Amino acid sequence: MSERIVVVGFGPVAARLVEGLLPAVRRGSVSLMVLGQEAEAAYNRVMVAELGVGRSTAEALAMADAAELIAEGVDVRLGVTVKRVDRARQRVVLSDGSTEAYERLVFATGARPVIPNLTGINPDPARPVLPAGVTALRTLGDAETLRRSVTARQRVVVLGGGVLGLETALAAAEEGATVTVVHSGPHPMGRNIDRGGGAVLAAALRAAGVTVVSNAVSTAVEHNGPDGAFSALVLDDGARVEGDLLLLSCGVRPRIELAEGCGLPVASGILVDHRLRTHHEPHMFAIGDCAEVRCATAGCPDCKGATAPSGLVGPGWRQAEWLAGYLETLAEDGQEAANGLAPLAKEQAGVVVLKARGINLAVAGDTSAEPWDELLCPAPDGLPHREVAQWADPGHGRYVKMTTRGGVLEGLVSVGMPRTAAELVVLFERGAELPADRSLLLRLDGTDQPSGAANNDPARTVCRCAGVSGAVIEESVVSGCSSVPEVSKATRAGTGCGGCHEDIKAIIEKHFQGAVAA
Amino acid sequence: MSAGTATHCPYCALQCAMTLSPAGPVAAAPGAGSPAAEPTTPGTASAAAAPLEVAGREFPTNRGGLCRKGWTSASLLGHAGRITEPLLKGSDGVHQPVSWDQALMLVAAAVKDSWDRHGHDSVGVFGSGGLTNEKAYQLGKFARLALRTSRIDYNGRFCMSSAAAAGNRAFGVDRGLPFPVEDLDTASVILLLGSNVGETMPPFVQHLQGARDAGGLIVVDPRRSATAAFTGNGGGLHLQPLPGTDLALILGISHVVVHEGLADAAYLENRTNGHKSVMRSLAAFWPERVQSITGVPATLIREAARRLAKAARLAKDEGRGGCYILGGRGVEQHVDGTDTATAAINLALLLGLPGSERSGYGTLTGQGNGQGGREHGQKSDQLPGYRKITDPAARKHMAKVWSVDESLIPGAGLPAVELLKSLGKPDGVRCLFVHGANVAVSAPDAGAVIEGLRSLDFLVVCDFFMSETAAEADLVLPVAQWAEEEGTMTNLEGRVIRRRRALTPPPGVRSELWLMARLAELLDAPSTFSDDPRTVFEELRRASEGGLADYSGIDYDMLDAGEAAYWPYPAGSKGTPRLFTDSFAHADGRAAMVAVVPSRRAQRTFASAAEPESLALATGRLLEHYQSGAQTRRVSELASSQPEARLQLHPETAARRGIADGELVSVSNERGDLRVRAEVSTAIRPDTVFLPFHFPGAGSANRLTEAATDPISGMPEFKTSRVWVTPLSAHRKEES
Repeated sequence: MSERIVVVGFGPVAARLVEGLLPAVRRGSVSLMVLGQEAEAAYNRVMVAELGVGRSTAEALAMADAAELIAEGVDVRLGVTVKRVDRARQRVVLSDGSTEAYERLVFATGARPVIPNLTGINPDPARPVLPAGVTALRTLGDAETLRRSVTARQRVVVLGGGVLGLETALAAAEEGATVTVVHSGPHPMGRNIDRGGGAVLAAALRAAGVTVVSNAVSTAVEHNGPDGAFSALVLDDGARVEGDLLLLSCGVRPRIELAEGCGLPVASGILVDHRLRTHHEPHMFAIGDCAEVRCATAGCPDCKGATAPSGLVGPGWRQAEWLAGYLETLAEDGQEAANGLAPLAKEQAGVVVLKARGINLAVAGDTSAEPWDELLCPAPDGLPHREVAQWADPGHGRYVKMTTRGGVLEGLVSVGMPRTAAELVVLFERGAELPADRSLLLRLDGTDQPSGAANNDPARTVCRCAGVSGAVIEESVVSGCSSVPEVSKATRAGTGCGGCHEDIKAIIEKHFQGAVAA
Repeated sequence: MSAGTATHCPYCALQCAMTLSPAGPVAAAPGAGSPAAEPTTPGTASAAAAPLEVAGREFPTNRGGLCRKGWTSASLLGHAGRITEPLLKGSDGVHQPVSWDQALMLVAAAVKDSWDRHGHDSVGVFGSGGLTNEKAYQLGKFARLALRTSRIDYNGRFCMSSAAAAGNRAFGVDRGLPFPVEDLDTASVILLLGSNVGETMPPFVQHLQGARDAGGLIVVDPRRSATAAFTGNGGGLHLQPLPGTDLALILGISHVVVHEGLADAAYLENRTNGHKSVMRSLAAFWPERVQSITGVPATLIREAARRLAKAARLAKDEGRGGCYILGGRGVEQHVDGTDTATAAINLALLLGLPGSERSGYGTLTGQGNGQGGREHGQKSDQLPGYRKITDPAARKHMAKVWSVDESLIPGAGLPAVELLKSLGKPDGVRCLFVHGANVAVSAPDAGAVIEGLRSLDFLVVCDFFMSETAAEADLVLPVAQWAEEEGTMTNLEGRVIRRRRALTPPPGVRSELWLMARLAELLDAPSTFSDDPRTVFEELRRASEGGLADYSGIDYDMLDAGEAAYWPYPAGSKGTPRLFTDSFAHADGRAAMVAVVPSRRAQRTFASAAEPESLALATGRLLEHYQSGAQTRRVSELASSQPEARLQLHPETAARRGIADGELVSVSNERGDLRVRAEVSTAIRPDTVFLPFHFPGAGSANRLTEAATDPISGMPEFKTSRVWVTPLSAHRKEES
């Protein structure tokens, strides 16, 4: 007897869930239906900007193949919309009027771009009809719009200084477009990064050829381009930022209306517990950008603080993997066995690594504290001190901040230092203690990093392969060897990998130079 | 000059060519001292000086070069610790000499007794990648027909099985390097994955020179190893992933190849299956995400991918340079080793390397006959010619060659780790033969293995020294060393070469072929067992005929005439120096690409919030020692250079624990507790420590490794054990 699972949505997170459920589908314990609104099966949204600037292909972005899944026995429907969910009858009603029954329903409806309220843009949030020359960047179609502009080396105005906006701006500029980033606040990535890092980042953007307009409040969109297309973004001080394409990069909002429409509790996202079950309906689930993990238990420590969907794909994938295991157990071993599974682990604060070729940036956690904050205002008793170490070299585009408590990172910023960034992110994710000498991490990007052999070489060993010291080689030269082959014959030095031939030569030359000088 | 015997080094798979000549009056080379003084036990030789002199010989693999191990190899021939008579352990635990007749009777009786009491599968055999082809072949036959057991496996399971499984899965055949090693000379880019050839096979490094000169040597290793250091000064790139994250790193490089349009689309279309699903699986591994998993900066991941692709393209379009990907134990000795090797092969296939002119993929075999040793039936699931023991056609063929009824050939046995876990257990192995292996030092969770050896009813060990495993044996049988025997080896290229006798073994020493032949007689075994290597090779030729590793066209005369014979070499052919030029070994001629992703299981936690003080232990090798060190620890020049295991750790890790360079430390986990000296070095990450595995007792790294294995290959995890390190001075304080 197979269990009927319907997945609403077919983005990267749903794709991971489907992949995880395939073994159960093959065994016949699960009958799976996936409903995708787009005409394409799941693709990697994270890479849409790369596609938009012509650096990747739609084929390379693909994360699922509908035909292969169908061959495996999954009922894949593309280009269909779910109109509503009939909870009482456990059926979904589709756009073509048909209905499908479910035993388990998974919302993987994702998120949609936030369309800012600007004069000249239709404000209907659910169905925004964007004027020509204005686009968000979330779908393959959006990528195609951007691509046309970049290929024509047009002027692109990016509204929003978040990660996606900056990544797109940089990539588009590198590929030949003329790019302006317009953002609120004093520096880009204002939600993630501190002032120092933001300043160095803004300078790096400018150096990469991107015009940055800070502290901007945009009010309207002008349509004086060909056929009434976008021509300029108007700011509240009357300034006009002219361009051929306006790219809206103002964040995303979870798509919750379907869940909300059938009476499920929602906040920013669809509310689910630590087993990803919707409140009051344990056979309904939500994962990915549409899900907000906040259980109904008052005072749950894991639910303290912000739990709105992060918009990052990593947590969504972990949810999908966990849920696949849970649903499989549920279908094959029953509710009791499924209850025995450990709930989904709490997500750590997200790490943002800018996907850009010209600029290296990583940021995570709380980066607001300054090095001397704690000195002025000591931590309450019992808590380890918060310590902030900082390295600022804006002249060379480098900036690092490490905020730690008990030696473990709570926040980090790294700009312009790739190895340091990579190491800090690893330490942050692992919750590992930093070296007491924090400068060790800064030195990873130094030019003094070991370029020669490791320091475990026994002193003065010239030929490691044969284990011959400089002294023995010198002795052989003194006794008459005047070439590398002769030294090798006499001492075995240089007879292994041959890497020391230059060194042997140097010893020979030194000897004979000395002889001439004497 | 004419007095020299042309042979090859006894140690690694590079099989450096050497000439052995009678030692002159002043034979000692600079730095060579006298052999280590060992307590003389009854039945050991008294001769001390090396009877032969070693010289490097011109050959494509080593070009006349040798490393320290090769130069000093002859000193073991007349070593004072040599066992020269069968030794039987008395009730007092002391080994005493017995005659060969007595020894053989004892073995036969022990086998029959075990059969009677516990069934045929209670007798087991543990072989080696160090045995000649003739001995490896005959050992497989001996186990199945004379001992009538399915329980045979070998130490190659610890090194080559994941690479072999991945190669078989992708290409349909497993030959370490499917091309001659000189092909590497002209390459402009070589990606070395987890291989420290600078220490493990130094003369091989000559073949990297071209890539180094072109700035194209790319080394993936968590440590700044001797080999990684070759990338300095413009030699190339060193990518330093966190231990256990190689798979993700390779996926990241592959992602860039796919997304930047660097894949060889025509090659994928014409020569592979499954590339679309592999490409889809790579979508999730963009460089910045991989950076967060591996700690390798995204810029380096992109750089590596672009260099590889550029070299591959240049080789194809302009016939210049070349591009190779070579795998080693560093990426393979993991619980996801087969998948990691598969990811490396997928990368090579995306770039269109395997089978292309000037480019390719290979794995660097470790043990002397690690290649031949995995082809002729020493593996638990295998029959000669790299045939599957479960394949009815293969069984029929072997039954015919052996002139026995097919029903006499047992089915598949247990892979090495499982075999060792079964020692002394009910339904496990109760009577064990060990040939050319020192499992008490080389197997994972060595402490448990030693317990297993002690719980056996009878343990027979064939060796030339009292190794740590021999010391546990009821009966130790002295066998010939490399310079005392004839035979063939198959080097890391799949080239069959001759091992030649330069010296008569000491009087009480026998060959293993002789031993198997006598025991087969005593056990009334069907078929024939020769003690003559040439005769055994002739049988091996027939046995391998039609198999993947087909040797049927090779004979001693041809090898003695100097022919470079690469398998498959069917009778009437000219052999196969380069595989895959036209097709792969699957039925449809295509390479099979299989999508792989890192498993949760493979991601160990160390130095994390949950275990802040724990560290990742990687094990590996030193230039001076070979495998368990049973031989090289007895060479005084090598032993004085590296006398003991030293724990490599970062200065920060040492300072935090109050450990000074050279100080004694405890390295421990739930399996064991070692006492070793600290070696402080910036060549290693602060969260990782390194121990060589060549040493026994309190310095035996494998007492800390876990007997966890790859689900496909049965290969153990050697590279990321979780350990704790403390200075010994701290222990003393606690105790006082």
